Amino acid sequence: MNFNFKIAIAEPSTIIRCGLETVLRQLQGFHIQIIEICNMESLQESLRMHKPELLIINPVFPGYSGLQSIKDGCACPGIKCIALICSATDPQMIRPYDDQFGLYDSIDEIKHKLERLLAEEIPDNAENEEQQTLSTREKEIVTCVVKGMTNREIADRLFLSTHTVITHRRNIARKLQIHSASGLTIYAIVNKLVELKDIQ
Amino acid sequence: MYKKGKYRETDKMSDLICENYPMVLVMSRFGIALGFGEKNIGDVCRQNKVDTCTFLTVVNFLVEDRKGLITDIDKCLSIESLIVYLHNAHDYFLNFRLPHIRRKLVDAIQDCPEDVAFVIRQFFDGYTEEVNKHMSYEEKNVFPYVRNLLKGEKDPKYNISIFKKRHDQIEMKITELKNILIKYYPGKDSYLLNSVLFDIFSTEQDLAAHNHVEDYLFVPAILALEKQLNS
Repeated sequence: MNFNFKIAIAEPSTIIRCGLETVLRQLQGFHIQIIEICNMESLQESLRMHKPELLIINPVFPGYSGLQSIKDGCACPGIKCIALICSATDPQMIRPYDDQFGLYDSIDEIKHKLERLLAEEIPDNAENEEQQTLSTREKEIVTCVVKGMTNREIADRLFLSTHTVITHRRNIARKLQIHSASGLTIYAIVNKLVELKDIQ
Repeated sequence: MYKKGKYRETDKMSDLICENYPMVLVMSRFGIALGFGEKNIGDVCRQNKVDTCTFLTVVNFLVEDRKGLITDIDKCLSIESLIVYLHNAHDYFLNFRLPHIRRKLVDAIQDCPEDVAFVIRQFFDGYTEEVNKHMSYEEKNVFPYVRNLLKGEKDPKYNISIFKKRHDQIEMKITELKNILIKYYPGKDSYLLNSVLFDIFSTEQDLAAHNHVEDYLFVPAILALEKQLNS
């Protein structure tokens, strides 16, 4: 099972940045999209645009005004931050970070730190098992969606709140990796949840 | 893996293409044909009246596959030339690539149950229509706006940030089709369907790269131009 994460690396040294990128890409079980940030001017905008789950930043990056101002400015309050320590650094400075990477960390150490930090984002095994198949209720909702019903109509038909319908739809999209109604239509026809004449 | 590193105009065009075969599409979108022999990139560009700097900027941008923001766009970049490139890419997707995939796809799925074939075709046609809308907006609104900007005429009601905000990822839905075929296609194994799948993989990447050029080269270049006109 692969977990998708976006990780931003803010580090002025190309060698260190690319080196860390290479290490992260070797980690098994993680599917990581890397956003490279090589100067402070582009940091805020990159974070706003890509909304990474994790920021790995060199605390002595020139022009860096501190963790809090980054978190305030990027509209991503939940972002996790790891300090990338490349030189002797005041421990006081590292305290606000969720964790730290050192230049001599082994791949296993890095992996453990990531797993610990991103634990909430990684679905546990029980959830993985059920991730494959839809529940009966979810199948009913797929059927309604491909018939062109609105969330309101589905809620009325199945005696649910629209809020619950929306939650179900989000779970369906996550399980199947299908987000559009026309994609769900193919799924529903292939799995015989509906017949063509029901949806035309 | 493709060779990393910046290409220069003294590098051979054939080396560029052999080391990074998707660049054959870039070349063609700039209007350069195959058969350039041993000539270097600069010579081939000049011979075809293509702006070398713009060509190299796009090539290096794509080859280096930078995920971050480009802050140092080369001053020599020609926006006219970039628009020609983007326009030709639109033409390629809408008038060649997607219709070509559709023909192959329809052929490949003819053995599967008719209702499944029907909804797959419906999905693909819906997707094509979305791409069409997405690209027509650029052709009808964004490019004319930029062409006027280049003449020094600023539209008080439009700016490139409007485009930047509404510009969505056009490859998302073809990714979905790929996932559906891989996970749920009910028919038999077929060479043709696998070939369609390969086409979809490469089109997905090509569309993502195209959007990337628009978001990270084109938009920043226009932002700079707007700033220059306002000052």
